[in-house]
Amino acid sequence: MRQAGHSKSRVPALLVSALALAASAAVAAEPKEIAATVCLPCHGEAGNSVLPTFPKLAGQQKDYLLKQLQEFASGKRKNEIMAPIISTVDKGDFAGLAAYFSAQPQSPGTVEDALVVEAGKKLYEDGNTDTGVPACVGCHQPNAMGNERFPRLAGQHQTYTRQQMANFKAGARTNDKGKIMRAVAERMSEQEMKAVSEYIAGLK
Amino acid sequence: MKLHSLILIFWAALAGVAGAADQQPHEEGIEAKDYVWNQMYAEKLQALKAKGEPARGEIAFEVCQGCHRAGAVGRVNGTYPRLAGQHATVLIKQMTDVRAGRRDNPKMYPFADKHVLEPEEIADVATYLEKLPSPPTNGRGDGEQLASGKKLYDRDCAECHGKTGMGDSAKFYPRVAGQHYAYLLRESRAIRNTERRNAYPEMVKVIKPYSDADLAAVADYMSRFETR
Repeated sequence: MRQAGHSKSRVPALLVSALALAASAAVAAEPKEIAATVCLPCHGEAGNSVLPTFPKLAGQQKDYLLKQLQEFASGKRKNEIMAPIISTVDKGDFAGLAAYFSAQPQSPGTVEDALVVEAGKKLYEDGNTDTGVPACVGCHQPNAMGNERFPRLAGQHQTYTRQQMANFKAGARTNDKGKIMRAVAERMSEQEMKAVSEYIAGLK
Repeated sequence: MKLHSLILIFWAALAGVAGAADQQPHEEGIEAKDYVWNQMYAEKLQALKAKGEPARGEIAFEVCQGCHRAGAVGRVNGTYPRLAGQHATVLIKQMTDVRAGRRDNPKMYPFADKHVLEPEEIADVATYLEKLPSPPTNGRGDGEQLASGKKLYDRDCAECHGKTGMGDSAKFYPRVAGQHYAYLLRESRAIRNTERRNAYPEMVKVIKPYSDADLAAVADYMSRFETR
């Protein structure tokens, strides 16, 4: 933008920005509104899904949510349910949606099989040196809260977490950074997936 | 059908089952007649020339710390070596050798290959690791053969790895001070047995006559060098 200074050019510049703002407001829907209509049936109120096959979005890392929305839209992350739905959302709304869900408080997760939690915790923090499974904590951070580069796992439905690990292992999900999760999941047993998912579900 | 084609088919089948992660490639190493130690190839040169950024390296290292642990202190049981405080040149050599398939490490490969790290990021990680402190928490041996360990070390190893185990960055000789005993023992055995294919032939020659007990004594001695 040109430096302000000329009184003549300044007024039109302000007007143009005001018009641009008004125009974008008219196109972009409120994220809360989209969440309450398009996303709610599966992902629950404010992103706290109650159905264990659908992930909770509340409290998830913003950057991760945005990446997933973009990749559902581009087809890099394949999902029969998400594909037709995401096509009804304007790409310009993705960032707002990601920020909205990220800012919502997550409902507490539930542990279903407390017996495996200890084994899950050990795997999360130490990995499996025999089979070369790295400790999850390296990327997903202490307490599984994630960061700008890796998703939060804490409090997620164990059914969903397990399903995703199985998808990575089978090569059905391929939008992981650097193929890292595929390499990890490939080395994990079903018991390990179950145990770590249970442990993760109980984290807040 | 020749044996090597059978092996190829077997590996292809295995890769087909495993599916997802890429397999480590295989490059000729010490077993080849015309082996050149620390040969410079494009990626290694690129990483060595790059000015590593420790702040970027810290971020890139997130993927590595699942095994090498926070702070790159490694594992006392030697499964994963300590990287903290190691010379950046040595780290670059090892990482690029693993990526090229000159050092066999199928466990590490998918977490260090081109999908994960750009050549510049190898330099970033190496520069970050070089500056990390190496606390005296590393695994030690049983301490029973330290006198003979010292004798062998001073005679055969100190010239390259240094009296105090600090290695030589310019010559790509690794620092051994602060390293875990079990890792030092495992790798020195692999080098003696020419199983570590990117090894320095002079070193192989020197430790060829070593017994397992000799290697253990030297590893124990090295694991007790002052480290911080």
